[in-house]
Amino acid sequence: MPGLIRLEKICRDFQVGDQTVHALRDLDLLIEAGEYVSIMGPSGSGKSTLLNVLGLLDSPTSGRYWLNDRDVSVLSDDEVAATRQSEVGFVFQFFHLIPRMTALENVELPLTLAGVARGERAQRAALILDQMGLSDRAHHRPDQLSGGQRQRVAIGRAMVMKPKLLLADEPTGNLDTESGDEVIEIIEKFNVEGLTVIVVTHDPALGKRARRHLLMVDGRIAQDDCG
Amino acid sequence: MRIADQGWMATTAILRYPLRTAMMLIATAIGVSAVLMLTSLGEGARAFVTGEFKSLGTNLLVVLPGKIETSGGGLPGAMGGSPRDLTLDDAIAIARGQHVARVAPVIPGAATISYRNRERDIDVLGTSAAFASIRGVKAAAGQFLPETELDRAMPVCVIGETLRSELFDDANALGKWVRVGDRRFRIIGVMQDAGTVATINIDEALFIPIGSAQQLFNTQGIFRLLVETKSEAVMDAARRELIRTVEARHFGNDDITVVTQDAVLSTFNTIFNALSAALGGIAAISLIVAGTLIMNVMLVAVSQRTQEIGLMKALGARRKQIISLFLLESALLSLFGAMVGVAVGQLAIAGLNAAYPSVAFRAPAWAVIAAVTTALASGLIFGIMPARRAASLDPVEALSGR
Amino acid sequence: MTTADIIAFTSRSVLSHRLRSSLTALGIAIGVAAVVLLTSLGEGLNQFLLQEFSQIGTNSIAINPGRPGTFGVSTGVINTVRPLTIEDGEALARLPQIKAWTPIRAGVADLEGNRRQRTTSVMGVGPGAPIFFGMNTALGKFLPPDDPQSPRPFVVLGSKVRQDMYGDSNPLGERMRIGGSRFQVIGVMESRGNLLGFDLDDLVFIPAARALELFNTRGLMEIDVQHYGNYPADEVVAAVKRLLIARHGHEDFSIVTQQQVMDTMDSVLDVLKFAVAALGSISLLVGGVGIFTIMTIAVRERRPEIGLLRAIGSTRRHVQELFLAESIVLASLGGFIGLVVGAGGALLLGVAVPALPVTISIPYLLGALALAIIIGLVAGVLPAHRAAALEPLEALRAE
Repeated sequence: MPGLIRLEKICRDFQVGDQTVHALRDLDLLIEAGEYVSIMGPSGSGKSTLLNVLGLLDSPTSGRYWLNDRDVSVLSDDEVAATRQSEVGFVFQFFHLIPRMTALENVELPLTLAGVARGERAQRAALILDQMGLSDRAHHRPDQLSGGQRQRVAIGRAMVMKPKLLLADEPTGNLDTESGDEVIEIIEKFNVEGLTVIVVTHDPALGKRARRHLLMVDGRIAQDDCG
Repeated sequence: MRIADQGWMATTAILRYPLRTAMMLIATAIGVSAVLMLTSLGEGARAFVTGEFKSLGTNLLVVLPGKIETSGGGLPGAMGGSPRDLTLDDAIAIARGQHVARVAPVIPGAATISYRNRERDIDVLGTSAAFASIRGVKAAAGQFLPETELDRAMPVCVIGETLRSELFDDANALGKWVRVGDRRFRIIGVMQDAGTVATINIDEALFIPIGSAQQLFNTQGIFRLLVETKSEAVMDAARRELIRTVEARHFGNDDITVVTQDAVLSTFNTIFNALSAALGGIAAISLIVAGTLIMNVMLVAVSQRTQEIGLMKALGARRKQIISLFLLESALLSLFGAMVGVAVGQLAIAGLNAAYPSVAFRAPAWAVIAAVTTALASGLIFGIMPARRAASLDPVEALSGR
Repeated sequence: MTTADIIAFTSRSVLSHRLRSSLTALGIAIGVAAVVLLTSLGEGLNQFLLQEFSQIGTNSIAINPGRPGTFGVSTGVINTVRPLTIEDGEALARLPQIKAWTPIRAGVADLEGNRRQRTTSVMGVGPGAPIFFGMNTALGKFLPPDDPQSPRPFVVLGSKVRQDMYGDSNPLGERMRIGGSRFQVIGVMESRGNLLGFDLDDLVFIPAARALELFNTRGLMEIDVQHYGNYPADEVVAAVKRLLIARHGHEDFSIVTQQQVMDTMDSVLDVLKFAVAALGSISLLVGGVGIFTIMTIAVRERRPEIGLLRAIGSTRRHVQELFLAESIVLASLGGFIGLVVGAGGALLLGVAVPALPVTISIPYLLGALALAIIIGLVAGVLPAHRAAALEPLEALRAE
């Protein structure tokens, strides 16, 4: 079966008070390996929900989802966690670095959780940090780093497990233009090397840089163009 | 995830809030050190009492007249009479036993002693020469009661040091005649300071030959017969032998009670162990209180670290990993607390020992193990709920900090 | 801010963290419950013993041979050059103040009767003894007022002895041998149970003179007398002392009044109660550490709120009062719960284990509650001070 990601009639409903909010409505989507996709749309259009569903952080109310030819809508909690661990990397707007750990330790964290031995862990994390241009910051704590540096650490953390899919939620939303550009260039470099990248953003300039643009309105994909 | 990594992560989490962590350590430490100190008090009392008895030799049998069959009647053997006395002839017969090293019959009583115009009401102990070696006391001046046939009355006596100074001040007491009841005795010895040995205050007592005591108190019966066997190994044989001897002499009645030092010791042990356990148990309640504190603080930690938990989940942490991370954190807190408690407790016990050198305060091993285990169990049990709460957080909501 | 406002504000913040507040209160509650329960047991024991002893004849005085010994019990009880005799007792009974008396000489002897054998405690006493033992006959009658010097050989059985030797058949009038001498059963005592480890049902009563004969001695272990209530105890003690000194030429006996025994016991038990209360308070102390910790966390978490309060005109004092009040509310809440649980537990224990005397001690109950509140106050001082010391701007910015 083709495609890295295949969604079929995905719905995601939330209960807010006594009202049901339909964040995603009967959504179908096919994304091939190596694509660079941006998702845009007004607040509340469901783009973050879609990203969470794609990243297996959230499970759809109905519909089916194949990731890498595997039906992930039927997996158990632990299997989902394992899949997230090996196949998906996340980059968040607010970095989500653990404040009491150094940059290196933050990058190591997924390897630590996966039970990789200390020596190998440090080696792999150091390699990634080097690619991010942060070798000299390895032993700094997040509060000793600038915003751009923090986000680069976060990207390193997302990439250290060599995932097939990188999901970025407003990765530049908390950065100045210059460090934002730096961060995007790094992500795009990974894309060139074959990584599938999906970026959720409000920023039209950032959205434009992707090769495929999805526009979401009211829980549906209103527009899907590759221009 | 490796154990070492979990431990490291939990440790960094603990160290992040020093005040809070210190408080939890203090709470657990108070409980653990209280358990240690209180059990050491019980243990010290036990060691003190049993030590007093142990110093009297382990190959000692005490024979009481009358047979105690029912457990309820504590009184008769202690001070009551018995229709058939244990007599001096019985004692002489027992002393001939092949396993018996020596015997000391005892007849205690109260009497008035007078010397010139000074008078005292005192405890009189009628006994034999063997008493001194069996009970581990000796004369500081002169000699103890002379070695003679048991049934021979002699007008001699040995007095305790306090009694001597009360009657004679600094004058020499040896050779002086004193009046006890309606009889006269010559002082042949003054006891060494010994304090209280087996409920008799040696310093204030007067020792006279057993035969003289029978006349003084107008009695035939022996109150107690102390029997020292030739070795510890023949205790049982000696006991059987002496019961047979008495049975033969008392027309087929073995109407005596034989108590071994061991039996007395084990009774004391039981009582004091129960006391220690009760004290320790009461103190251990505070460990449960410490547990509620750990639970509370861990709940706070879960809510403060919501985003972090969300992130771990996004990075693929399993439910079990999150649970064990938080459980480990509470376990470490209680374990460190327990360690501090053990240290503080031992320090306090060392202080007690320094202050009261005559008593050996020592927290028994079972108390240390029980206290640490209880602390750890309390931390783990009270840690379960916060840990489960952390593990069941929804990753999306957790990440957004809601 | 009025007190009512402070209370309203405080209870809202306590309620907003329900789980946290209840856990904090639980810590104190466990401590208070422990204190209440333990002191209830102590008080119960106290009441139980007082009751037991007051049954044993009010206005009674015990006279023992010999001066008081090192351990309270005189060696003279065993042997003495000048024994206490039945004649001494008779002389005492002739004193105008004395209402009743009994000699006591105890021992063990073999009982034979109904073709059964048994070794049992034997109490040689007088007809007045039931008052001093707090016992009555269930069957037949007690020893009759014979000539104390040559009483008839009657025996009154304890309920357990009767059960063991005669089962359910009527033992009255039966002959039995005690230590070789013949006695006739004239009564059976009602069951009385244990008193301080001494089984009052596993014994027989015979006339004191017969017991002296049996045990081949002249000396009594004790003489108990009861005086009329309208004479002060001191006066009676003095009269007894005068009489005995006149008879013996010497004060070679010791006198203990019922009241002295009860007073001594009372003070021993007071110490015991205080000790268990102190032990239980260790938990309260730990609970106090809990309140301190949680209040410190609360101050940290609510910095924005504190900033806001200060911004809209609260003084430092107000802020301090608010947090102090919260700490006290938590502690007294816990104290109150602990009180209910401890008292409830004590009552339940009393019902579940009837043998266990349980009485709730009101002073200790209130004391535990007061201590809990004080602990709340002390534990709250530092966090409250810290809250008050926050600079409003900084606190607001923490949001």
